[in-house]
Amino acid sequence: MKKLAIGTLLARLALIAAGLSALVPVLWTFLNSFKNRVDIVSAVPKFFFTPTLDNYLYVLNREAVAAGLVNSIVVAGAAVIIGAVLGLPAAYALARYPLRWGNDIQFFVLSMRFLPPVAVAIPLMVIWLQLELYDSRTALIATYTLLTLSTVIWLAIPAFKAVPKEVEEAGRVDGYGPYAIFFRIALPIAARSLVGAIAFGFVLVWNEFLIALMLTTSEAKTLPIVASELSQLGRDVPWGILNASVILLSLPPLLMVGVLSGFLNAAFKRKREAE
Amino acid sequence: MRSHTTRLPAVFIGPGLLVLAVLALVPTVFAIAISLQDRELGQADTGWVWFSNYVQLFSDRRFLNSVRVSLVWEVLTVSATMALAVLMGTLMHRCATPRWRQVLSMLFIVPVLLPRVSAAFVWKFAFHPLFGLITWPYKAITGEPLDLFADPVLALLTVAFVDVWQWGLFFGVIVLKLLETLPPQPFEAARLDHAKTWEVYAYVALPMLKAPLISLAFVKMVESLRAFDLIYVMTRGGPGISTETLDMYAFSQGFIESGRISYASSMAVLMMVASTVAFTYIWKWTKPS
Amino acid sequence: MNPVASLSPEPKMSAIRCHHLIKRYGETQVVHAFDLDVADNEFVVFLGPSGCGKSTILRMLAGLEDISGGDLHIGGQRVNDLPPQERGIAMVFQNYALYPHMTVRDNIAFGLKRLKVPKAEIDSRIKEVSDTLGLERYLQRKPTELSGGQQQRVAIARAMIKTPKVFLFDEPLSNLDAKLRNHMRIEIAKLHQTLKTTTVYVTHDQHEAMTLADRIVLLRDGRIEQVGTPQEIFERPRSAFVAGFIGTPPMNLMEMAVHGLDGGQCELRGGGGSVRVDARRFALEGRARVTLGVRPAHLHLDTTRANGEGFAGEVQLIEYLGNEVLVSVGQGGEEIAVLLPSAAGPRLGEPLRFVADAQQVHLFDVATGASLLRPDAVLH
Repeated sequence: MKKLAIGTLLARLALIAAGLSALVPVLWTFLNSFKNRVDIVSAVPKFFFTPTLDNYLYVLNREAVAAGLVNSIVVAGAAVIIGAVLGLPAAYALARYPLRWGNDIQFFVLSMRFLPPVAVAIPLMVIWLQLELYDSRTALIATYTLLTLSTVIWLAIPAFKAVPKEVEEAGRVDGYGPYAIFFRIALPIAARSLVGAIAFGFVLVWNEFLIALMLTTSEAKTLPIVASELSQLGRDVPWGILNASVILLSLPPLLMVGVLSGFLNAAFKRKREAE
Repeated sequence: MRSHTTRLPAVFIGPGLLVLAVLALVPTVFAIAISLQDRELGQADTGWVWFSNYVQLFSDRRFLNSVRVSLVWEVLTVSATMALAVLMGTLMHRCATPRWRQVLSMLFIVPVLLPRVSAAFVWKFAFHPLFGLITWPYKAITGEPLDLFADPVLALLTVAFVDVWQWGLFFGVIVLKLLETLPPQPFEAARLDHAKTWEVYAYVALPMLKAPLISLAFVKMVESLRAFDLIYVMTRGGPGISTETLDMYAFSQGFIESGRISYASSMAVLMMVASTVAFTYIWKWTKPS
Repeated sequence: MNPVASLSPEPKMSAIRCHHLIKRYGETQVVHAFDLDVADNEFVVFLGPSGCGKSTILRMLAGLEDISGGDLHIGGQRVNDLPPQERGIAMVFQNYALYPHMTVRDNIAFGLKRLKVPKAEIDSRIKEVSDTLGLERYLQRKPTELSGGQQQRVAIARAMIKTPKVFLFDEPLSNLDAKLRNHMRIEIAKLHQTLKTTTVYVTHDQHEAMTLADRIVLLRDGRIEQVGTPQEIFERPRSAFVAGFIGTPPMNLMEMAVHGLDGGQCELRGGGGSVRVDARRFALEGRARVTLGVRPAHLHLDTTRANGEGFAGEVQLIEYLGNEVLVSVGQGGEEIAVLLPSAAGPRLGEPLRFVADAQQVHLFDVATGASLLRPDAVLH
C-alpha cells in the first residue's frame, strides 16, 4: 500500500510539473511584456518590477503591427468563411450519400494535409508573381482556403455522420427535401462540433508562418511575420517589445481554448456512445 | 437510400472539390514544371534543363545533410511525442481526479494553440544563455552561461523539445480521452488477476487503443514536416547546418540565398512525392477497409 | 393526391396493395415477391426474427427505401415513385427520432408547418393531439429532458397530427422496459380503436403481435411464412417454423417414425415415446418419418397406463412460472418441455410419464417443414 502511495505521489508531481510547463513559459512571457528592458536583461530573473505599458503602446502604434493584425484578421477570416461555406455542404454530402468515389474524394481531401508547406509555397510564389498578385491578401486568402477547406471537410465528416440517420428520415417523412434537411436538421444538430472544426481551421491559418513568409514582402504580411521581424531590429533586441508582440499574436488562438476543449469533449462523447 | 436521385451530392460537393482540385493541382503541376527548368527569381529568361536539377541534388552535400536532419527530426519528435503523450495520458487517467483532469486538459491544450512562432520565442527566451528563466539555475550554480544553441546536437534537441512540448501534452489529453472511452471490465478483470497497475496499462489498455494511437502518430508525422517555423525562429538552421531540415534548405535556396527557384522546386517535388508515397502507404495500412 | 386534402376528415381509401414487391441490394435479394392486401382500418403486424425483412418492407411502404420490383398502391394510387410526404403515411421510429434541437411542440408541428397550415389550426391540432396522449405539460421541453415513454408518445403525436392514411410503426416499443412496454402497448391498442387508421406495425415480439394485430404477417428470410389472424396462426401454423415461433413456451418439435398406418389410426414413435393420431386428419401417405409438434400445455401427466402410448423420461430442469411449472424431461438425448400445474410438484431427477393430447398435435414434413394437417380437419 505504501509503495502505491509513493507512485501516485510521484505521478501527481510529474503531472503538476507538466501542467506548469504548459503554463509558466507563456505566463513568463506575459509578465515580461510589461517590463522595461532593463528589468528583462538582468542576470537574475526578476519577479518584482515596476510594470509599464510602453511595450504594448509601441507595438500597437507601429504601423507594421497594426497592418499585420488587420491582414491576419482579414486573411484568416476570409479563408475560414470560404472554407466553411464550401466545406460544410461537401462534408455533409460525403458523410450521408454513399458515392462511388466518396472514399477517394475523402482521401484526396486528407492528402492535402500531407503536402509540406514549402512544397506548396514555392510554385505558388512563381504563380502569384506571374499573375501579379504576389504580396496581396487575395493570394494569401486563396492559398489558405486550401488549408481551411480541407481541414473543415476532414473534421466535419465525422460530425455529420454522428447525426442519427433516423432523425433525418423523420424529416423526410415529415415532407422535407434533402436541402431542407441539411439546413434545418443536420446542421443544427451537428453545430457544436462544426464550430469546433471551424475554430480549428482558424487557429491553423492564424498560426501559419512559412507560406505567408514566402508569399508576402510588405503589403500583406500577417502578424506572425511581423512579430518575427521585430526580433531582427539590429543588435539591441527589444525584448519587452518582442514579448508584447508574442502575447498579442497568441491571444486569438488562446481565446479558442474553451471552444476547442468543448469540441474534443463532444468528439469523444460520441465515440463513447458508439461503443 | 433515396427514392429520388437528388442532385444534392453534386451541388454540395462540386464547388468545394473544384476549388480544392485547382488549388492543389495547379501548384503541383507548376512545381514539377519549374523543377525541370532553371529559373531564378528576378531573371526573365529560363530554359529547360530537364532532370539536371535532380541530379545535382544527389551530389549536394548540404541537401543530403538536410535529408538526414529531417529524418532524425521526424523519428525524434514523433517517438518523443508519443512517449510523452502515453505517459501523460495514463498518469492522468490513473492518478488524477476528474476535476484535475479537466484542469490539466485545458492547460495541456495551450501549447499547441500557440503559433509556432510564439512558442519558438517563448522558449528561445526561456533558454537564453543570459536572461533565460531555465538557464538561470545553471548560471547561478556554475557561474557560466549555458548556451544550448551553440552545440549542434543540443540545438536540435532543444528545438525538438519545444515541438514535443507543444504536441506531446496535447496528445496526452487525447490519450486520456481515449482511455476514458474504454469499458472498465477488462481493467477489472486484469486487476482480479493480480496484475500490477503499469501491467494493466501496458498489456490491456494500450493494446486496445492500438488503432487510434497509430492514427495519432500518423498525424504527428505530418505535423513534424511543418517544423519550419520553429527552426527558423530558434536557430535559423544553425549552428552551421546542424538543424537545417529539408524545408529550411529549400526555403533558403529559393528565397534567401540565390533565388534558385528551380533548384528549390526540385526539392519541393521530391518532398511531395516522398510524403505522398509514404503517407498513402501508411494510410492504406491503417485502414484496411 | 393533394396532401392538404388528406388533412380533411373525409372517408379515406386507405387500403394498401403490395404486388410482387422485391428488394435487392446490388446482387443480393432480400425481399422476394411480397404480396399483401391490407384492408381499410386494419391493424396488420409484420412479425419475424431479425433479418427477415420486415423493417425493409416497412421502409419500402414509407418511401425510405427504393422498391426494386413490383407495385405498391396506397389508397388506390400507385406510389412506387412518390416521396414519403406524398404517400399519405406517417411513421413512428424505433428510436423515436425526435429532433433534439427543437421543443416537443415544434417536433410535433414540424410536418404541418411545411404544408403552410394556418397557425390557428396548427395550435388547435397540437392541443388535440397532446391532450389525447397526455403531453400538455411537456410541450415546451426538449426531447432530451423526457423519459423514454414520453419521447415515444411525442413520436406518436408527431405521426398522429398529420392524420395520415396509414400509420407505420417500426418496432416502437423495443427500447422500453417491460413494464412500460405493456403500458404503451395498451395505449397503442386504444389509439387504434379511436382513430381506426390503417396501421402496419413491425415487431419481433410475438406477444405484441398477438395482442395488437387484426392480422399477422409472419416473415422469414424475406418471404411470407404465413398470413392470418392471431388465432389462425396459433391454431393452424402452416409450417414448423411458424409453429415454433408462435406461442410461449415454444412448441416441442421432434422427429418421429411412422408405424402402423392403417386407415384410421397411426402410431408415431420417437423422442423416447409414442403418440397415436387420427390418420385421416393428416396427409401421411408414403411417409416414413414426420416432425411432430406439440405444445407444452398439451402434454399431460399419465397416471393410468404403464405401457403403450406416451412418453417417459427424467426431470432435468424445472422453471417455476407461478401457477405453472415448465418441466424439461429428458430421455436419451431428447428433451421435451411439459407445462404442468405447480401443484403437481415434480422433482429433479424424478421419472415422469406423460401423454400428448392427440387432438392438439401438429405434423410437419421432415424436409420442408410444411404442415401436414388437412384443410378440412377440425380443431378443438
